[in-house]
Amino acid sequence: MSNAEEISSKQKQIAVSEFFEKNKHFLGFDSLQRSIITAVKESVDNSLDACEEARILPTIHVELNRQKGDTIELITQDNGPGIPRNSIEDVFGKFLLGSRFHAIRQTRGQQGIGITGVVMYSQLTTGSKTNVISKIKKESSAVFVELGLDTRKNRALKTSENRDVWIDKRTGEEIEQGLGIKTVMKGKYQKGKQSVYQYLRMTSIVNPHASISLIVRDKDRNIIDEGNWIRTSERLPRIVSEIKPHPHGIHLGTLQRMLRESEERKMTSFLRHNFSGVSMRAAREILSKAKIDESRGPRRIKAEDAQEILLAFQQVKLLSPPMDCLSPIDDLLIKKGLSKAIDSRFASTVTRVPSVSQGNPFQVEVGLVFGGDLSADGPIEVLRFANRVPLMYQQGGCLLTKALESIDWKRYGLDHPAGRGVPKGPAALLIHLASTNVQFTSEAKEAVAENEEVYEEIRKALLEVGRGLKNYLKKSSQRKKAQEKFELVNIILPEISRKSSEILSRDEPDLAPVITKIMNAVFCEEKLDWDKERQTATCSIKIYNYTARARAYTILVKWPENTTISIVDNERGGRKETRGIWAWRLDALNPGTCTTIEFGVSGLVKGEWTDTDVFFRGNGDIIGASKIDETLLNEIRKSEALDAAESEILNESGSLEPLIDRAETNEVESLQKIIPKTNNEQLSLSEWEVE
Amino acid sequence: MTIGRTKTKEEVIEALHSVAAEMHDKMMKGNPPSMTLPVRTKTNITFDNKLQVYKYGKKKSTRDATALGSARVLLRSLHITEFIQQMIESGKSSTLREMYYISEGWGNGKFSTQNESNNLAEDLEIVTKCIREDFKLRPEEDGARIIGNVTFEEKNRKGEWMRINCRDDVGDSGYGVPYNVEAEKLRLIDQDIDFVMAVETGGMFDRLVENGFDEEARCALIHLKGQPARSTRRIMKRMSDEWKKPILVFADCDPWSFRIFASIAYGAIKTAHISEYLATSEATYLGITADDILAYDLPSDDLTKSDIGALQSELSDPRFSTGWWKEQINLMQEIGKKAEQQSLAKYGLDFVTDTYLPEKLGVLGLNY
Repeated sequence: MSNAEEISSKQKQIAVSEFFEKNKHFLGFDSLQRSIITAVKESVDNSLDACEEARILPTIHVELNRQKGDTIELITQDNGPGIPRNSIEDVFGKFLLGSRFHAIRQTRGQQGIGITGVVMYSQLTTGSKTNVISKIKKESSAVFVELGLDTRKNRALKTSENRDVWIDKRTGEEIEQGLGIKTVMKGKYQKGKQSVYQYLRMTSIVNPHASISLIVRDKDRNIIDEGNWIRTSERLPRIVSEIKPHPHGIHLGTLQRMLRESEERKMTSFLRHNFSGVSMRAAREILSKAKIDESRGPRRIKAEDAQEILLAFQQVKLLSPPMDCLSPIDDLLIKKGLSKAIDSRFASTVTRVPSVSQGNPFQVEVGLVFGGDLSADGPIEVLRFANRVPLMYQQGGCLLTKALESIDWKRYGLDHPAGRGVPKGPAALLIHLASTNVQFTSEAKEAVAENEEVYEEIRKALLEVGRGLKNYLKKSSQRKKAQEKFELVNIILPEISRKSSEILSRDEPDLAPVITKIMNAVFCEEKLDWDKERQTATCSIKIYNYTARARAYTILVKWPENTTISIVDNERGGRKETRGIWAWRLDALNPGTCTTIEFGVSGLVKGEWTDTDVFFRGNGDIIGASKIDETLLNEIRKSEALDAAESEILNESGSLEPLIDRAETNEVESLQKIIPKTNNEQLSLSEWEVE
Repeated sequence: MTIGRTKTKEEVIEALHSVAAEMHDKMMKGNPPSMTLPVRTKTNITFDNKLQVYKYGKKKSTRDATALGSARVLLRSLHITEFIQQMIESGKSSTLREMYYISEGWGNGKFSTQNESNNLAEDLEIVTKCIREDFKLRPEEDGARIIGNVTFEEKNRKGEWMRINCRDDVGDSGYGVPYNVEAEKLRLIDQDIDFVMAVETGGMFDRLVENGFDEEARCALIHLKGQPARSTRRIMKRMSDEWKKPILVFADCDPWSFRIFASIAYGAIKTAHISEYLATSEATYLGITADDILAYDLPSDDLTKSDIGALQSELSDPRFSTGWWKEQINLMQEIGKKAEQQSLAKYGLDFVTDTYLPEKLGVLGLNY
């Protein structure tokens, strides 16, 4: 008997309604405000999951209409595949407490009680039935069903059913496929941080492929709140595959059940076929450590032996579980999702490589936006997600928040009073944990539970976006300073010269030597743009020599080199320095002159490349660029050469891709090591200011 | 600099041109233009034994055009120079606020706040050793009110001299001191008083007037209106110099009132360049003292954090370096209290004129 069956059979002994009543706090139906959020959440999660499986770009509409007293009519509609007539009663009437106990992969549905809870809640609070409309593409009409729950038998009670054409009330057009739900429940609509609006806004951020709209009406049918989040990406999340459990995440009970139910004849094949990450070699090693004969039948393993196997699992080196069971959002899509919901100046995102904790694959993604319309006073906005589902309650007790609070944000340019709590400033921070098994602090599933490995991964991701922010702030402050200097020598100084000469009736002085004295530095300004017509990113680098001597430099620029991405329109030529870094040798730049390097990068999409770093080789500092670190450059060159050699060998065996992936990861990390070097640059700037 | 003598137009313009010349000379030599100013903090004021007031010391700071902010200030001072020159030549004057608005038309030289224009006018006074009256610039701050048996002559708008007795020719609000109290505008004619008493608050000033204290004690009463305007300090200085009458200051007992007294007696830090012209070194602090709070058991308030900070800062202020002030400040910190002038009303409306002031004045030998 499976876990779920065990649980539901136990439940059958008490009335399901009683169970619901007793446990509604952790089912998300404890307050009138929260109940309505939970109901919307169950429905929207189902729609997103269904569309994802059917490879349809979801369009979801939610309507809340207040009725008399504290009752609300909830209407949701999607363009998903619909539900076959025969399954409607199962989907809406079976109480399964998380319907996907078995499947080890990342799904939204893990987190809720399911849509049945909504049917139940409506029935218990207002006595109303739930209307379901389902239209399957290949059928000629939609099915309209009205149902309630038989709370003693834990199944749906159909009260009416008919087939008809389904017309969209808002557009007047016939709906080709989709699912519509309408029900009436007790609830209260409230605006703010914990609202249906915020839930849908957050959902749209992590589901940039979805279009979501919301209309909320009061008793007199006046619209009191609405939202419309249009998809920013046409790319559906990839289909995640189911995986077998990994030995590191297994408990004794589960192992014993698996042994009992196994059809395998030998223990070696049992281990190899029921778990991920177990090779023949590993299976033998486990069994020898556990002192169990390889040819023993799984059904004859006793409890003490199972215990030994569990111990051996921890001692033997195992392969990591496969990671294609995870569905990260991806850097660029997070950026797009955030910019869809928040207008900001700067966005930095990080998707960490997947990792494993207790046999469960997980992956952390973080996005940070800064500036723009964001409010500068008060704490930053924290957007927490687990498997693309917004977490809206219990922020303080959540591991994601704790990891966030453990960072010394002052170092990265955010106000962080006493280094405690959520930092302050005009920023919003998104943290997404994708995992086959997100562990929560409680059944309410609103706060992620403590886990050392996950915590460390989040911290690493946060530090990375933090460095990005610091870099950005430093750059913008440098840019501001440079602009001020330009204004000073180009506008104010000539006016001082003119005015003082006028007052004194004297000749105007020659300002060139004065300007050199005031600036006394070489400036570099880089600008990244998007050429819409040619679909290329353009980069322009201007270098001004405001010193008394001629200067000669090699300018190096970081660019997102890849097999499908290349440099175009590069009139100055230059050469490839190493992977991801292009170099131009400049002719001597005379005092008081300026030169420009311009090039384009093709093979990118808009918004993919918005920020770069400029380095230089040569004597004397450049404000706005950092001196290249030659040792690190050599490291990159070496790793590039090594990768090239390795991939040549592996080309024959055909499994090239993982290696390229790894090589690129290496490279990204060593490139990031260069960035702290830019601190020198800041130092030189302040020295320069003192002069 | 000759004190009290208004400079000729030519002298003022020449002084202003020297500011522009410093900038021009620097640029001719290939250096950033600059303006040299004395440091204006309490660390750079020293007591001038000859003048008996505090003056700026030798510390200089240079404002040069290596940063955008200071370059803007230099440009503005050139605009002001031009503006003042025009006013002098056309016989006009303007308020500081008017100048702030006029700067709207100065493009990159315009002021962003009025404080900026006020400070720059002060800078120019210091650098040129002129006073703002020379620049034809007026403050908006109104001067003090005076009641008592003293007679002035003031030149009115028609250019005629008007004689005013501050007891007989004025109403209850007294004689309003004009912004310019130099000899060209105001003459001290006659008096029949024993001393001048400057009062910090309007409430107390009105109480003394209502009780007829000016006649009873044979004094001139001056309402300071908080931190006294320049013209207020200047007229007190002239009354002291020309009539040789004692100047007494009657203020609240709190650290801010001590600073009011210091600016009257020793010179204000902001205007230390003209201290000898504004400060009355003979002025005496009458009360309320920390001793009085104890001696008269006055209703008092606890010192706030900022009060304590101000007292601490006064201990390191050279103007409060005498033994008496140190004693008072320390005592005040010890009891942790401050008191208003009007707390004397605890003993009735007439207590201040019947008991407190006679007793305090008696100590100074001023019996009536």
